[in-house]
Amino acid sequence: MDWPTFIQSISNAVILGSIYATVAVGLALAFGVMQMANFAHGEFFMAGAYVVYVFYALGGMPFPAAVISAFPVVAALGVVTERFVFRPTRGNVLAGFMATAGVAFILQVIVGQVWGVGLMRSVPTPYMGAASILGAQVSWQRLIILPSTLVMVGGLWFFLHRVKLGKALRACAQDVEAASLQGININKITALSMAISGGFAGVAGALMAPINAVTPYMGHSIIVTAFIVVIVGGMASIEGSILAAFILGFIHTFVTTLFDAVLATMAGVAFMAIILVVKPTGLLGRVRM
Amino acid sequence: MLLSVKEASVYFGKVSGIRDVSIDVEEGQIVALIGANGAGKSTTLRAISGLKQPSSGEIWFKGERIDDLSPEEITMRGIAHVPEGRRVFPYMTVKENLEMGAFSRKDKAGIARDLEGVFRHFPRLRERLTQAAGTMSGGEQQMLAMGRALMSDPTVVLMDEPSLGLSPILCQEIAKIIKEIHAEGRTVVLVEQNARLALSLAQKGYVLETGSVVLEDDAKALLENDKVRETYLGGSD
Repeated sequence: MDWPTFIQSISNAVILGSIYATVAVGLALAFGVMQMANFAHGEFFMAGAYVVYVFYALGGMPFPAAVISAFPVVAALGVVTERFVFRPTRGNVLAGFMATAGVAFILQVIVGQVWGVGLMRSVPTPYMGAASILGAQVSWQRLIILPSTLVMVGGLWFFLHRVKLGKALRACAQDVEAASLQGININKITALSMAISGGFAGVAGALMAPINAVTPYMGHSIIVTAFIVVIVGGMASIEGSILAAFILGFIHTFVTTLFDAVLATMAGVAFMAIILVVKPTGLLGRVRM
Repeated sequence: MLLSVKEASVYFGKVSGIRDVSIDVEEGQIVALIGANGAGKSTTLRAISGLKQPSSGEIWFKGERIDDLSPEEITMRGIAHVPEGRRVFPYMTVKENLEMGAFSRKDKAGIARDLEGVFRHFPRLRERLTQAAGTMSGGEQQMLAMGRALMSDPTVVLMDEPSLGLSPILCQEIAKIIKEIHAEGRTVVLVEQNARLALSLAQKGYVLETGSVVLEDDAKALLENDKVRETYLGGSD
């Protein structure tokens, strides 16, 4: 691997890690509060991409505004899903799995019915050209992902550690019964966590819309990686998920560059298996938010 | 009557946790619930604080029925529950734990005053403010759990086994603090396996056996009662 390729791969890895982090943090947050693995999280990502497709590509809204509006739209989707699908199955792992997997299929079918299944929806690239960083060429379209992730993850950290409501969310993740004894309304916090979770997945999908193929099934690839990231990170650990996201970003990018994409996916899964053997609680599994 | 449990029953599946339990707590009292493991003491407290809805019976607080309210609503009405096993938020700091205790309050001045009050009872908590609660000793966690409950400025404090697993010296310390909390004008419902400790603090006591109240009397009388002495106070000495 020569120097320009190396630098190129590093920048690709960081940007891929940023997307993984944005998606996985939402998944970890929802898991932490609800103890429920949301298999529809990839479809929230897909929904975010469609928000950009509809608002920006079809509707002519400025790209940044379309990306930002993906947050409330998909957050609302998360809240509705929580209220009518997750809440009735709370505390039942199998029912929760079936329900979230069911939501994933329903969202795919709805989107497919409305906007078609066949050809991918093309979203024109709003930011042409590339920045030159130490000899590597990084397209602006990818580069804007990095500050977006920093703002979102930083904002989430501030909310969880400096705002009373955010602290209450952590309290629920650590001991839901004790939290209810402090006067914290568990249903409100659960809805809030799903709103944030959905919003994060939505914005990630929105940012990827001009880069990825926008199809009803685009959630598949991201959900597998997101689960690997969350498992490696320690299920309910935000910090662990961020760390694992960047590690996975590097593994996927470098193995793809040196070998191929299939091997990269396998390497990611192998990495998860090794972590689970060596440290079954995940990288930072003992820290729950 | 400040707080009354009227013939409340709680079932876990088909097994009953408590059956027709009635308890009356007057304002300003310390009331002790004693009994063996599994007698239904904790379940009674959990029914009062709303963690477990009774399947029959009623619970009244300040003249209103509360047995169909959620735990957070009951907390906001002035009942704080210090659960068994402390249940502090382990990855939050001492300060954050105390802040959560005052979650539903808006009166900044009152919160600051009560925080000072908590530090007066538990000076050690002030020294440990930025420590993660899960890394503290059992006794310190018990103090934090009690402090957290006081942060809601409760009328009634329900305490579930505050002395469990603590050294005799720490038990005495906890007992002293329960007295202080009572002296502040708060009503205390105390669940204890350490019956001697509980009855020496309380004005009134209830003895629970297999989910039912089998005896209720003044705490002093219970300390003298032959059956109580034999079963719960370790012989007739």
